[in-house]
Amino acid sequence: MTFLRGKKQRVRFVRRAVAGHDRPNNQQIEQPELCSQGRSDTLDEIFESLFPFVLPGKTASMIPDLFTTLPPIRDLLHTGSSQVQDETIQECLPFLSGLKLDIECNEHGIPHLDRKKHITFLHHSLRNLPAPFVAADASRPWFFYWALSGLVAMGEDVSQYRERLISTLAPIQNSGGGFGGGNGQMSHLAPTYAVILSLIIVGGAEALDIIDRKAMWKWLGALKQPDGGFQMCVGGEEDIRGAYIAAVIITLLNLPLQLSKESLFWSREATLLTNLPEWISRCQTYEGGVSSRPDAEAHGAYAFCALACLSILDDPHIIIPEYLDVPCLISWLSARQYAPEGGFSGRTNKLVDGCYSHWVGGCWPLIEACLDGPSISSGDHLSAPLTSVGHLYSREGLIRYILCCCQEQSKRGGLRDKPSHNSDSYHTCYVLAGLSSAQHKWHFNTSATKTESSGMLTAAYQWTSDPILEYSQIFDEEDRVNTWHPIFAIPEGASERARSHFESKGGF
Amino acid sequence: MGKYEGDPVWDDVVPIPQDDGEGALAAIAYTDEYAEAMGYLRAVMAAKEYSPRVLDLTEHIISMNAAHYTVWLYRASTLLALNSSIPVELEWVNNVALDNQKNYQIWHHRQILIDHLYDSMSSDPAALKSLAESEVAFMTEMFNEDSKNYHVWSYRQWVVRKLDLFDKGEIECIETLLRQDVRNNSAWSHRFFVVFSNPKYCTPGSKATEYDPKIPGEILDREIEFAKAATFEAPQNQSPWNYLRGVLKKGGRKLSSLECFAGEFVKIPEVGEEDIKSSHALDFLADVWAQKGENEKADKALTLLGDKYDRIRKNYWDWRRTSLK
Repeated sequence: MTFLRGKKQRVRFVRRAVAGHDRPNNQQIEQPELCSQGRSDTLDEIFESLFPFVLPGKTASMIPDLFTTLPPIRDLLHTGSSQVQDETIQECLPFLSGLKLDIECNEHGIPHLDRKKHITFLHHSLRNLPAPFVAADASRPWFFYWALSGLVAMGEDVSQYRERLISTLAPIQNSGGGFGGGNGQMSHLAPTYAVILSLIIVGGAEALDIIDRKAMWKWLGALKQPDGGFQMCVGGEEDIRGAYIAAVIITLLNLPLQLSKESLFWSREATLLTNLPEWISRCQTYEGGVSSRPDAEAHGAYAFCALACLSILDDPHIIIPEYLDVPCLISWLSARQYAPEGGFSGRTNKLVDGCYSHWVGGCWPLIEACLDGPSISSGDHLSAPLTSVGHLYSREGLIRYILCCCQEQSKRGGLRDKPSHNSDSYHTCYVLAGLSSAQHKWHFNTSATKTESSGMLTAAYQWTSDPILEYSQIFDEEDRVNTWHPIFAIPEGASERARSHFESKGGF
Repeated sequence: MGKYEGDPVWDDVVPIPQDDGEGALAAIAYTDEYAEAMGYLRAVMAAKEYSPRVLDLTEHIISMNAAHYTVWLYRASTLLALNSSIPVELEWVNNVALDNQKNYQIWHHRQILIDHLYDSMSSDPAALKSLAESEVAFMTEMFNEDSKNYHVWSYRQWVVRKLDLFDKGEIECIETLLRQDVRNNSAWSHRFFVVFSNPKYCTPGSKATEYDPKIPGEILDREIEFAKAATFEAPQNQSPWNYLRGVLKKGGRKLSSLECFAGEFVKIPEVGEEDIKSSHALDFLADVWAQKGENEKADKALTLLGDKYDRIRKNYWDWRRTSLK
């Protein structure tokens, strides 16, 4: 149903909201107080005046006022950061309040996931791209990964792309190992990650077997740094993306851990993993979050890289507390969620952005597994941890932000950073991944009789998921998307199939 | 006829066309200009040619696509092989950086250049000083465009270590930025790095999240006073609150040493309504009280946060309550 009809009321809302936003500047001079209790009345008044007319006596309880009112404490001091933050709230409120006339919402004030349009958008992103996309010439493999993972999450069969993907990727693999951003480009971990995940998503031996694993292993040896981290390409920057991606490649392709003789740091004792968790530990900042490299600022995307990398190296409840200050990390991670927007920001005093639905949202299953400890399976019986911390963030807030604010409304489709931004395949992928993560509960399982014969780096293959079912579900069941693996961010099950394919080969 | 095809300077080079594979996905419709230049780049790279014309070619490609890591790296190798003037290159890179705010590659390229330049002037303090000044001046220009640019800040941390800029000047730069916007968390984060990684008094390798017994007391006092002053300007600004917690941890001081200060923003009377000017102060006090074993007060603070002042994080505050026992 549509909540509001008639253009008049909408205009009135916008004008009043803007007037409210301008007020703090003027008050700054007049009032000597440190801060004001927020003027949350503005929108409430509008709701009271508008909703009885549209949906008598019902609406107020359907959208909690948390998502329609300004934060309860707001400082009067006006700076660049508060200015853009205020603008973002004003930009999101009409979408969160169900006041956008052209969007149909359910009784919770939430629109459907416009699956059909988003699917079309992602299919289109794999067609020929116009000249301005030249800026993406060195990152084109990402387009394959974003589109394929997003399509599978929305239930599409992507096997139609298998052959073309293989023929597209073959010319960008280098004989020295790894993939470049395009033909003739140097091998780089970022496109290599996107390539490997894309091949695993379309699946099948003919896709997986185009990867030259031995050359890949040698190349990783050349990227390994003496401090434990990895360069993104030979002679390139060393950052935590490299740490995460290297671990992903080693485990998914089932590569040997010892360093190749090509490595500058070869020794009998050293492996590809030597000092890797120690290096990640050095990236945790005083705020509790994680930075791209030691000394820099805490950032949501790098927190995911850190947690996911550690969760490849060992069981999350064992390794995460060993290398990170967990309470401090959780405090920072939790502070990434804002109201009324409901979405996540990437850093302190920065704005919400749909892509952090994955980068920050994806940290939560790993953190929850870290706090809960494993479910123990013995035979076919699976016993959950005695106590579960449950969800430490507001799933409702995130789902509201995603479905209300991140969907491109025009026929273009796709998902976006925030309402003032255009959709793109990057955001479409990671917003959907965040939605999936908010709709499912992940369990980390260990076997009561753990055998060492199952190979190295097996922790990433012990996850299972359940859909979260609840009495007062705010989204419609048809808007539930498929599950993405909590570490690899590809459809659940695909990584296990790839790993066993490579395991079955024995050596290279 | 293309730019290179008709140029006698390039007569000896046979360009290598791009192999896109059969029915390539997401193929980019390059302009003829870009496609031709890339064909020549693939050819010179295959021949491992490092020459002045490679510098021209890479400059041309970068002007069309600055996010091309291969081109940047090959350019760097060429510059070093030719022993080209680094200051001239830096000047050019400045302009490219200003036009490409979100670019990753430029900053790594710059790092390579400075590394190289440093080796040639490491025994000349005056030259190093002037290099530091020009780097800082350039970053200031970048911050005028975006004072939270992650790449610029990461580069700055690298420059501070490389050129040993753990001095008063660096702290003053940060304070200028914080005067413009006290919510600039990147500036706060940089300050923490500059103060608590200073090799003059810090334990080498001490992590940001751990106690360092070598930090002088007067530095801890100075930092605490600085953050406190900022908190009074905007109590709901989380940056100085995070900073204070970080400083206390580094200094091995108890949170309760700032109980009175945090109490300035939190009034919870026995009867009547509370007056909360900062949810971060309430959060801080909840930790103080929990550490002192005053669980009832801590529980009340966390309940207020979850039910009233920071409801979006209710699950988190409730989890904190369960760990009070």
